[in-house]
Order: sequence, then C-alpha cells, then structure tokens
Amino acid sequence: MPRFISPLALALVGAILFGDGAYIHAKAWLAQVLLERAFAQSVATGQPTKPWSWADTWPVARVEVKRIGAHAIVLAGSSGQALAFGPGHVEQTANAGERGVAVYSAHRDTHFRFLQNVSVGDEIDITRSDGKRFRYRSDYSAVVRFDASGIDLATQGHELVLSTCWPFDALTPGPERYILHATMIGPD
Amino acid sequence: MSTISDIESDEHPMLRQLIKLGLVLLVQGIAVILIGFVALLVSLFVSLDPAWSATSDQATLLQPAEALSGTLLLKDDGVTTEAVRLGIDVDITVSGPTLRARVTQIFRNPGKDWVEATYVYPLATNGAVDTLKMVVGDRVIIGDIKERQQARVIYEQARRDGQKAALTEQQRPNIFTNSVANIGPGETVLVQIEYQEPVHQSGNEYSLRVPLVVGPRYNPSPIVQSVDFRPDGSGWGATKTDPVPDRDRITPPVLDPRKNPPINPTSITVRLQAGFPLGDVKSHHHAVKTDSPDATTRIVRLADDTVPADRDFELTWKPAAEKAPSVGLFREHVGDADYLLAFVTPPTLDQATQKPLPREAVFVIDNSGSMGGTSIVQAKASLLYALGRLQPNDRFNVIRFDDTMDALFPASVPADADHIREATSFVSALQARGGTEMVPAMRAALTDGIGDTNMLRQVVFLTDGAIGNEQQLFETITAMRGRSRIFMVGIGSAPNTYLMTRASELGRGAFTHIGSVEQVEERMRGLFAKLENPAVTGLSAKFSDTHADVTPAMVPDVYRDEPLVLAAKLDKLDGSFEIKGRVGDRPWSVTLPLSNAAEGKGLSKLWANRKIGDAEVARTMRELTQEDADKTILALALEHQLVTRLTSLVAVDKTPSRPAGEPLRLSELPINLPAGWDFEKVFGEQMQQVPAQLRERRADATGRTATRRPAPAAQPDTVRLPKTATTSELKMIAGLILLLLSLFLFVFNRRQLLAH
Repeated sequence: MPRFISPLALALVGAILFGDGAYIHAKAWLAQVLLERAFAQSVATGQPTKPWSWADTWPVARVEVKRIGAHAIVLAGSSGQALAFGPGHVEQTANAGERGVAVYSAHRDTHFRFLQNVSVGDEIDITRSDGKRFRYRSDYSAVVRFDASGIDLATQGHELVLSTCWPFDALTPGPERYILHATMIGPD
Repeated sequence: MSTISDIESDEHPMLRQLIKLGLVLLVQGIAVILIGFVALLVSLFVSLDPAWSATSDQATLLQPAEALSGTLLLKDDGVTTEAVRLGIDVDITVSGPTLRARVTQIFRNPGKDWVEATYVYPLATNGAVDTLKMVVGDRVIIGDIKERQQARVIYEQARRDGQKAALTEQQRPNIFTNSVANIGPGETVLVQIEYQEPVHQSGNEYSLRVPLVVGPRYNPSPIVQSVDFRPDGSGWGATKTDPVPDRDRITPPVLDPRKNPPINPTSITVRLQAGFPLGDVKSHHHAVKTDSPDATTRIVRLADDTVPADRDFELTWKPAAEKAPSVGLFREHVGDADYLLAFVTPPTLDQATQKPLPREAVFVIDNSGSMGGTSIVQAKASLLYALGRLQPNDRFNVIRFDDTMDALFPASVPADADHIREATSFVSALQARGGTEMVPAMRAALTDGIGDTNMLRQVVFLTDGAIGNEQQLFETITAMRGRSRIFMVGIGSAPNTYLMTRASELGRGAFTHIGSVEQVEERMRGLFAKLENPAVTGLSAKFSDTHADVTPAMVPDVYRDEPLVLAAKLDKLDGSFEIKGRVGDRPWSVTLPLSNAAEGKGLSKLWANRKIGDAEVARTMRELTQEDADKTILALALEHQLVTRLTSLVAVDKTPSRPAGEPLRLSELPINLPAGWDFEKVFGEQMQQVPAQLRERRADATGRTATRRPAPAAQPDTVRLPKTATTSELKMIAGLILLLLSLFLFVFNRRQLLAH
C-alpha cells in the first residue's frame, strides 16, 4: 500500500508544477482576450478602460506585425504584474508616434515570442488607445545587457524598440535582452 | 488483467478502490503528458528555429586555431568571425605657416559577412577638417558637409538601403569618429579625410603633432560622486546632468598590449616646405628617414614602413639661421574676402633689466591610473625639476589627485629648504592608481588662499588629460580662475591636447608637452622661462585702412618665446596693422604693412576654425548663450565646409551594393593602448564604474561586437529593460519530469506487486 503513496505524491507535485507553468500561459492568453475587448472600448470612447475591474493597468496600444499575423495589446508600465498580462510600455519612454523612442517590453515565452520571427524590414503597426495608427519599419536588432541597452532616449527621430529576454529558447532568466529597433515610416 | 484484479480483489478488498483512483490519476497524467509533449514539441520547434537561421547567417565559422597569427577575432555568441582590419596612411604637406594633412583609413573586411565599421580616432586640436572622400573600387565619392543630425539621417538611410556610405563626426575638437556602412565580404573601402592646421611655433622651433590614438578616458559617473567628495567647496553637487553624456561615443574597445600584437598599422610621410633654409629636423618619438631635395625642403618618412597607432607623431624643425624670423605674414583670397594669418614674436627683455618677480606656484600632479607606466615617471621628474627651480622668496604648494586628492600643505608655504625637502619626498612616493577626478583638484589649486597681489599666482598642472568631462573642467576654470594663471603640462605618449590648449587658454597661461623622459629637462626649462619672465600683456591689433574680423577675439597674453598668432578676415588688403602691448612694464608696438604678406594656403579655414573656437570659449565663459554660439558655429561651419560639434561630413555611394536581406554586422574597431600606459592600471582600477562583463571581456581581450556593447552601469540616459522571462517553461518541464517519474514508479511498484 504505502508504495503507491510516493508515486501519487510525485504525480500530484508534477501536475501542480506543470499546471502552474501552464497557468502563466493561460493567464497571458486570457488576459489578451480581455484586453482586446478593453482596448476596442478605449479606442471607441477615448477613455482609458481597465480590462477587468481590479486591474492596476490599462491598455495603451496595440502592436501588430501583419506579415506573420502576430499582435498584442500593450499595457501601461512594465511591472511584473503588468507583464504577466501583456507587453508593457516602459516608463519614461516616449509614446508611440511621438518624437523619441517608445520601448515596449514583453516576455520572450508569451507575448513577444513572435519577435524571433520578425525580421529586419518588416512593418510594425501601432494603434494607440486614442485610435491613431502609426507604421514603423524594423531596421535592426541587437542583443544587449539590460542595463546597457544603448537606446538613445534623446533621439530626434520617431523610433520604436520592442524588447524581450534573450536567448529565446533559454529556460532561466538572464541579463541579456533582445531588442528590435524600428523607425516610423508614417502614419498608417 | 482480469486475473490480476481477481487476485487483488480476493486478497485486498480495500485496494480495489485505491487502484481505481490511481488509474484515474494515471490516465489524467498520461493525458497531461500527451498534451505537454505536443505543446513542448511545438514550442521546441519554434524556439529552435532562430538558432538554425542564426547559424546560417554566421557564414564564417572560424575556430581560433585556424586563424593566422595576428588576426583579431571578435567573439559573438560563441561563433568567432574575423574582424575588420584597418590600415592608416598619413600624408602631410607643410607649406610655410600651415600644413595640410590627408589621413587615409583603409577598412578591409576579411570575413564573409557584410559589415559596418566604426573607428574612433584623434586629430590635431587646431585642425580644420574640411574634406571626406570615400574610395570604392575605382569610384571616388566626395563627402558633403551637413548639419550633424541631417548627416546622420542620410547615412542611416544609405546603410539601410545597402549603399556604401561614410560619415565623419566630431565628438571632441580632437576626437572624431568614422563610420563606414556596407563593406562587403572581402572588400576594401578607403576613407580619406583632410584637414588644415597652423604650424606651431615656440621660440626658435617649429613643430607639428599628429595624434594617432585616443587614450582611454576616465569618465566620472554622474550621480554618486557628488556625495563622496570631501567638503572642499560648495556647489559641486549642483551638477545635475551626466558630466560625459556621450561617454559611449568616445570609448572604443582597447586591446591589452600584453596579450595582443599592436594593431592599426600606420605609415606617415611629411613633405616639409618651411619657406626658409632648414637646420635641425627631428622626430621625437618615431625613427624616421629624411631626404633633403633642397635647402628649404625635407621629406620625412618612417624608418619602418609602418608603426602601430599607439603614440603621437611629433616633428620639430629649426631654421639654419641662428634666429627664427620674428614676424610672419600670410594672406589668402577666398570668395570676396581676404584672409590674413600673422605670427609675431615679441622681443624678450634682457635678464639684467628685470627684477625677479616673487611668485606663488601651485603644482598639481595627476597620479591616476592612466598615468601608470612611463607617464608618472615623466610627471614626477618634471615636478622635481620644478621644485628645484624655485627661489627662496617664492611660495609654493603641491596637490596630487586621482579619484581622491591631497594638498601637501594647507596653504602655500615659503620655498625654503625644509619645505622643498618635504615636497620632494612627497612627490617621489607617488604611485599611479585610481580614477581621474580633475575638477576638485583644479578647484583646490585655484582657491587663492593668500591673496597677496604682489605675487604672481601660477598653477602648474601636470596631467595626460585622459578625462571625458573636459567641459566641466573648463567651466571650473572660468568660474574660479581669479588672478591665477594656469600652465598645463601634457604628459605621456598620447595626451589630450584639446584639454591642454583650451585649459591654458581659459587660464591665460601656456601649454607645454612632455612626451618622453628625455624631453623633461628641455621642456621644463622652456616652461620656467615662461613662468619667470614677464608676459606680454594688454595686446591689441588695429588695422589702419580696412575693417577686420580678428580672431582670437580676446588677444591672449604672450609668454616668452611664444609668437602671437592672429587670423583675420579683411574687406580689402590695404594699409597696415599695428600690434600694441606691454612687455613687463614697457610699452611695445609693431606695425606691419599688409602689402608685404606672402601667399598662404587654407588660411580661410584656419580663420573659421579659430572663430568657432572663439564661440565655444564665449559659451564656456557665459558671454554667449548656447543658442547664439550654436548659430555662429553652424553658419561658419557650413560656409567654410568644416566638421564641428554641429556639422558632419557624409558620403554616399548611390549604387546599392548589399543585396536586400543580407544582414549587416557592426564592428567597432579596437584601438591600441597608448605606448607606455599600463593596461592593468587603467582598466584594473580606473574604470570601476564599468560593469564586470566589460572588464572580463577586456581582460581576456577578445574584443567585442557592438551589438553587445556594454556601457558604464550608471547611465541615466539609457533605458533599463525590464525582466522579460517567465519561469513557465521551467515549471512545465519540471512538472513533466515529475509526472513521468511517478508513472515509472507506479508501473514499477505494480510489477513488484504482481511478482508477489
């Protein structure tokens, strides 16, 4: 009899761990569904709309790469909580469409997994929560340290940086970040 | 199966239910595993994808053992590729008072990738850079002068479109960057820049200096250190912005000379047409071969064909006659204006007619890490010489600094035997280490404790000037100089000449350079001639018939053996001009008829460059607002086609060369450590604000690619990217392993059970 307890306990722990991991993905996916809805409402009303009543963040933009059919709703702020639900608009960087650099950051294994398929030259469409649309073209990518991104906040251009962890297939967090840089080619 | 359950049910009725539960769990587990596997397979395929494509991009897979000796390897994610190689050719023609230099940089890409190369290099501080040419195959593309931002945009556009392009930008008046985009595999691109510079004259000797390497600079970190300093002055903490906002643009990778052979081979040729019969012609730091086609001409070449770019090239020449001409007057007609360049050496008073002037001398010595090696030896020898020259009625003090600071005496003391002895042992014991916090030392030196107006107050500052926050130092000097005069002594093989010249100009002193231990005595003797003899003061220039725009706007005091150098833009070349001043307490004047001026070359550029310098000085001294200074500089630079802080040269080859889709790698060309510097002292201790990753990379000297450019940690202008990795994958994999393990255990246990 007791010899069945240990495999059962093991199975339970395994299932919980697996479920916990899967939950992160489920949460990320479900949140985006809710966020799409909230974002559509934001665009319609022009007011920041919270995706669910207890949320501490709100959607600020929608990023889309048409060529590979990838899209995500970007949230205000880049705290850990916000990043669980969607890409975060890094504090103190410009808004999309404005002079300067807008930096969006998201997890490499959820919302920004698609970054590895975006190649230099791809068009990136940003829709702001006020409904304005801007089109960027990616011009280079780089791998940098998190504290040495080389991103020039004082730039005179209209730039966009999408950032996620590097390497894409690593299992543990590290100091390296993958950045995809894009320059605005005009309002969409 | 049925038999098994029969046996079980017979023996253990309770067990049946438990097994049912177990089976349910098992089925559930298998389902989870199946789903997990599918998900994992999908995710693995997706995540392996970029790794494959990345490898296919790295066409050049080179193992270190295969590389020829002397090849520089840049490490990039475990794959090593051959780096772009650089050769430099410097060709200088001296025509009388000016020289024109043509610097050709040869970028060769031995790898199989398309590369963008950037190279940080020094030029003469007074050089007016006006020409950029890019040679691709048999095509020569001439660069245009553009506003800095606009030039950058043009360059970036060409880079993206796969066109070859070159961009020359000024980072400091003596530090420039060349970027070359889209150098194809196996290709060579030549980038040629040209500049105009006045020849330097001191006493009987003329000289030119070609800096070949930018010494690694100490860039004070922006925030922390204002609280670290001792309370030796107020207002220091008021600095809000980063003292070196462009730190990443002036810090190229530096190779450790102990582990790498020298790079960047340089050849130098000087065609010297002095305009008078030549006497002694001497290269101070390089062995040269000299040809003499005639009495006034010399052709100087390096004895070895090439040398590594690791120290300044310095050439001096003297006239065959006893005495150099004391007046030189040159003109050039450009557009609708005449430009004039005048060299006038004021007479020196006889020693006998002077009464010795009591002086208060404050010696400041830089003992930071960058001074390690031979520089500190030169600095100490110079300072010991200076201490020996003090007269008993002089007063003096000694201040030493690295990232800390000590004054030997609380205030200046009489130069009696005891004090001199104390100072000598203090100086002899100095060791080079630590960072270079120059501003507090300058503040301390300029603090006029005694305030005795009967004494001349002179600050002698010995340093290599290896700092990135020059502007902060200039502002300190302007704010605190009072009646002190600042004499800069540039030490070492590659000093920051811009810092030396501008600091001595703002401090109304003079600049001496000491490049080797052998030069210490001769140059210090020259410096003491300047310190001990009265300067020519109250100088002014007046033109009789014509309106003239004279630069420098404020005519500086001139020290013994130095010429007064004036440039002017004239409406017409008529009449004469008169220079007036006082030598000691005697009035002095000289009148020069303009009609006697000889034809010169590139004088308009020199005038414009000097005017730009005036505007920068006026900005530092808060006589001009930033906007007004920028407007003046921009107008002059665009009119005279000069590279400045606000303008760059850009050349674009209209023919696209890189096929669309081919990736472009960025390669930041490394530089040598200046000769005589101690790598350990500079990078081991000085740059403590540099993150560990950089130190490791530099220590193992594998170089690095720009995509992984580590910048100093304290950098407020850059974004800290948030953590963007979840543990979901890790958890899911660990969970799967546990589930599998439990399954095996379960099966194993059942087998055992059945065996009973």
